[in-house]
Amino acid sequence: MQKLSNPSILKIISTLLILLVIAKSISLVILYMLPSDGVELSVEESYQPKYQRYDFKNMLSSSQNISKDNKEVVQSGISMTNMLLKGLYGTEKSGFIIVALKSKPTNTSIVEVGDIYSGYQLLKIKKSSAIFMKNSKKYTLNLDDLKVDSKYSKSSSNQTDEMVSQKVVSKNDIEHYAKNPKDIWKEISIIELKEGKEIKGFKVTRIKPNSKMATLGLKKNDIIIKANNVVLKSYRDALNIYSKIKNIKLLQIVVIRDGIEREIVYEID
Amino acid sequence: MVKIAKLSGYIVFFILAFMYFTPKVALYYYGETRLKEQGVIISQESAIDNGLTLSIKDASLSFKAIESANIKDLNIAIFGIFNKISLKDIKLASTASDFLPTDIKSVDVSYALYDPLHVSANAEGDFGEAELDIDLLDRKLFLILKPSKVMSKDYRSTLRNLRKSKDGGYEYAKAF
Repeated sequence: MQKLSNPSILKIISTLLILLVIAKSISLVILYMLPSDGVELSVEESYQPKYQRYDFKNMLSSSQNISKDNKEVVQSGISMTNMLLKGLYGTEKSGFIIVALKSKPTNTSIVEVGDIYSGYQLLKIKKSSAIFMKNSKKYTLNLDDLKVDSKYSKSSSNQTDEMVSQKVVSKNDIEHYAKNPKDIWKEISIIELKEGKEIKGFKVTRIKPNSKMATLGLKKNDIIIKANNVVLKSYRDALNIYSKIKNIKLLQIVVIRDGIEREIVYEID
Repeated sequence: MVKIAKLSGYIVFFILAFMYFTPKVALYYYGETRLKEQGVIISQESAIDNGLTLSIKDASLSFKAIESANIKDLNIAIFGIFNKISLKDIKLASTASDFLPTDIKSVDVSYALYDPLHVSANAEGDFGEAELDIDLLDRKLFLILKPSKVMSKDYRSTLRNLRKSKDGGYEYAKAF
């Protein structure tokens, strides 16, 4: 007690306590000025229905064949193996499919979930198939392989002016560019195009003449705004497409060229 | 002399007390907002104030909204004179798997006031070992990579972007 009451020790302790109080006070002021929550990643998904190509000419002509009450589209005696699934749109429990009979592949019909076609009731729409039911048994009809018409596969300079152009891309080239992304940037330059803080698309600023990239139908100053129906509003959207590129058969991109939206479709063969 | 020793003692005590009381988690949140401006977001993590250091567990790192890596353990030690950020068990996003093995065992980034113009880093993982030196004055970075067998065998296209050094390693230099 005598030592504690020593004025010099008391002075040291009191000084240390004062320093503690000052340190704590400063830290409280800092705490008051700093944010109380961290930053979390919030991604606004650019969701669009899955991209599928339809022959709208057939759809329009076939629409005349659909009865006004299209809840009942019955052509009895048809086997599931005689049907072709030409296209599908929507989620598992809502949406429609486009079907045709193999005997008349161009005579397509639109069937909604719950509708009956050829005695089969459409139960669900899957990613690349439709589930039907008949006599308590389930049947799966897979999507007809999408092929680009050969007449479009050779691009010509005339086609570049069309609203939709179609190209065939070699899978080997895709694999090469996926493994060597640096080669992409040797042949093409793309920058983000922003409006305020939001990315509105990706602008092509350079294409090396006579390169593989130059054969893809893109032109300098094109603004790529969509890929496979996904609006490209972030690098994440673009990378999601890039990460799936090895597994997709058909890639559609929408570009704005001279103020007009144009579609380029690539069949990866 | 005694007065100087006393004063020095008080200063050290104040610095330690201040470091202990500093709201490190809130400071980390502030750092996150600054990183967000550069497109870097650390999310899903839990930040723990350990008194003198800060631990971040199970962080998901994304750059420009692209999920880039998951970090199991991140430790930030800022002592003023010597500062160190240690990262352990890093798993890079699958999109990086075309360029290098995605498992990184550890990364240590250090900055010392007695060498104020350099930031140095060491990393170790399935890719091999790497040493990075950043020259803040000349705005240059220099990387030395000693690739693992997996890296040498399966990621030749990545290694082609680096310059081969005499000792069998690889070098990369870039100004920024």
